[in-house]
Amino acid sequence: MLTSQHVIVEYRDGRAWPDRLERKRHAHYTGYAERMLAIYRTGIGRERRALHRDVEMLFAEEPDCPVRRIRAFSKLLDEASTYQADPKGEASRLRLRVFEAAAPRHPLVRQKDRLFEHTESEVKAAIAADLGRQWDEIDARLYADVMAFQRLESFQGYPSAVALLSRYNVAQLQACLYAAERITVRATRDLKTILRYAKLARLLHEVRRTGPSEYVMDFSGPASVLRETRRYGVAFARFLPALLACRGWRLTAVLRTPWRTRAVLNLSDRDRYTSALPPPEEFDSTVEEGFARKFGPERDGWRLSRESEVLVDRQTAFVPDFVFRHEDGTAVLFEIVGFWTPEYLAKKREVLRRFRGRNILLAVPERSLREGAQADKNVVVYRTAIKLEPVLEALETVRLRQGRRG
Amino acid sequence: MQPNGEGPVRLEFDRGTLLLRGLAGEAVRALASADVWTWDGRVGAWRCDAIHYAGVGETLAATLGSAWRDEVPKALPVRWPKVALPPLRPEQVEALAAWRNAGRRGQVIMPTGTGKTEVALAAMAETATATLVVAPIRDLLYQWHRRILKVLGYDAGIVGDSLHNLQPVTVTTYDSAYIHMGEIGARFGLIVFDEEHHLPGPCRREAALMCTAPMRLGLTATPERSDGRHADLGHLVGPVVYQMPLSQARGRTLADYEVFRVPVALTEAEQDTYEACSREVRRFVAARRRERPGYSWKDLCAESGADPAARKAQKAYYLKASIEDRAAEKLRVLEDLFRLHAGQRTIVFAGSNVMAMEVSRRFLAPTILSHTRKRERLAVLEGFASGRFPVLVANRVLDEGVDVPEAKVAVVIGGQSSTRQAKQRLGRILRRTGNVRAVLYEVVCEATKEVERSRARRRSDAYEPTRHRRV
Repeated sequence: MLTSQHVIVEYRDGRAWPDRLERKRHAHYTGYAERMLAIYRTGIGRERRALHRDVEMLFAEEPDCPVRRIRAFSKLLDEASTYQADPKGEASRLRLRVFEAAAPRHPLVRQKDRLFEHTESEVKAAIAADLGRQWDEIDARLYADVMAFQRLESFQGYPSAVALLSRYNVAQLQACLYAAERITVRATRDLKTILRYAKLARLLHEVRRTGPSEYVMDFSGPASVLRETRRYGVAFARFLPALLACRGWRLTAVLRTPWRTRAVLNLSDRDRYTSALPPPEEFDSTVEEGFARKFGPERDGWRLSRESEVLVDRQTAFVPDFVFRHEDGTAVLFEIVGFWTPEYLAKKREVLRRFRGRNILLAVPERSLREGAQADKNVVVYRTAIKLEPVLEALETVRLRQGRRG
Repeated sequence: MQPNGEGPVRLEFDRGTLLLRGLAGEAVRALASADVWTWDGRVGAWRCDAIHYAGVGETLAATLGSAWRDEVPKALPVRWPKVALPPLRPEQVEALAAWRNAGRRGQVIMPTGTGKTEVALAAMAETATATLVVAPIRDLLYQWHRRILKVLGYDAGIVGDSLHNLQPVTVTTYDSAYIHMGEIGARFGLIVFDEEHHLPGPCRREAALMCTAPMRLGLTATPERSDGRHADLGHLVGPVVYQMPLSQARGRTLADYEVFRVPVALTEAEQDTYEACSREVRRFVAARRRERPGYSWKDLCAESGADPAARKAQKAYYLKASIEDRAAEKLRVLEDLFRLHAGQRTIVFAGSNVMAMEVSRRFLAPTILSHTRKRERLAVLEGFASGRFPVLVANRVLDEGVDVPEAKVAVVIGGQSSTRQAKQRLGRILRRTGNVRAVLYEVVCEATKEVERSRARRRSDAYEPTRHRRV
């Protein structure tokens, strides 16, 4: 990830516009990207600062290129590189040896006189002779461990020039979020993935339903309720690539500008940023996929939709695999329990207990049942694939029960 | 969602904040600490910053007696393997007593070199509780570690400098404290902020807010900040409990000192480039100002992305600064100063890593740079202290508080300096040792920006009087 020293954001009319290279306006950047990759690919053994200088020189006559953009490119290229790090501290040992040898002869003067008889050139030549090396070689290695002087060992690189430019665009977007105080995601699809990755980034959520399968999710951190803080900006940035891989969302981030005013960043899946992550899998398992295919979009008056409802109880969020909606308005949530560990099953039970007021139908694999256990009314047991009849039966039972009540 | 009175009353630590559960709204509003609490519907509990821990605990006990559970982790008591404090001087005793009388919460302001660290170590010795020491840079981190080991016999943990070794007594940096306080904020009874003027920044202050430690000690020579935020130290650390002005310290605890300014000329080639660069910047800015009278350096930077001419002007400006920083003549002057003070330990402050390495490679003198690793750092400092190394070259990392034993001669050969930096630099060479007068040389390029900075610096009282010397 970039640091705040690389970030380029334009704040205009209360909105934030992170730097972005566009396919049309920056078409010539593909050429730059190819040449940058070439500098690193052919740069094995060269010093970091030489590589950075070459990258900078590429842009010397380019009218459209801020210094920060150049430095950001160097940073992203370095992230895909391995430099010789001098792990054994050879440079450090060499320094101490040389300085200790020189110390009794301090000061090393240019011209001898009666008081000071150690000239720089003689002392350096003597130390070089002691170490059995040329002085120039010693001089070159003396500070070889300093970042700028480290040599490129290998370059993993990026798959293509376009991939480097995409990575740049996402990196600027992430860096822009370092200044964010809170973010809001409005989503209609991939709800489970969004909530799961927000949780992995240790964000707290507030979820509101705003449509049949549209949710508004506010993300922030513990202290956000006490004061505006940029403390969770890095967490937002970490969460972003997962969001970019999803579909059907809009994001609004409230940022604190360097002038201590506020600005808003708007973003959606239509902005077509390329995430380094693959899009979420359509189905979590083949059992799910098989069932969805067998059932079809609608059957016996029940419409099937996937991961379209979120159940929330404070910081516990639960997105059942499917929702059945009947023409008469009855809705039944359907969760397929896979072959998992006892801990997973226990956790699932606890989550379900929280939402026991809702119509939840479970599909449980036979071997996950404890021996001799009697399955509840709302449980459908399956061996390898879920059959349709027991599910439809259970759905009707719920509908009739509901009908009697209503 | 409405606050409710369900379940037992519980106080918890949650990533730098406190959560209060099981109390209904009216009950919370009746607490003496009512104004610190905010209802957090996301988790269904009352929330406040961890800094309020001591006060909140008292008010809950006063209102509820023992009908609540304090689930905030407790600071562990610490047993020091030994206590070998040096005898405290009267002003140190006074400072410690003032802090103790203020309920062990407050700031001690003492000039550099008057033993702030000993005051803190004495405070740690008598409180004997889990302690977090926060220092500005990693040199100071290791220095605190050494001092705690030497005086209290305790091998403190280090969080920062890519280490994460958490112990009941731990030293860390402001940046690491900001990052990690959410996780470690409930482990300490005492928190010490060394060079506390670093604390009130918009982010770093959160390190103080997110920590439960009831006992707090802030140390600095120079609390003032140009942004006025030092006023917040009262809330973050506590009131000023002891203050000792620099003029009082001078000549008493500190050695007497002299400041010499040594002007150097640029070589002809440097001068030519310097002037060419100056002309380029001037010409560019003048042309812009014909159209936009208020055109500034900031505008130039903003334009540099879209305009190669602005970028060239920007580069010319940086080249000028680099010529000043690395003027060849400075190395010659340095040779003269080394001759003049042969046999006296001398420390050289460079304005950049590059210049520090240049000095080191010319004179084969050891350096302390920001990336210098612990082992080498110790070897160099120890070698300098024992006299094995007559010269030490440092970049700005040594600016504050780092112990450099008994240096009597300091040479500043570059670096932007605010008043505070100048004071800190003086403090480095002003430690009382015998009757030898300390000397500070400032080597500045003639007729450049450096001279102006030096003049501005001399206006602060620490630098009076200054004499000029031609070497």
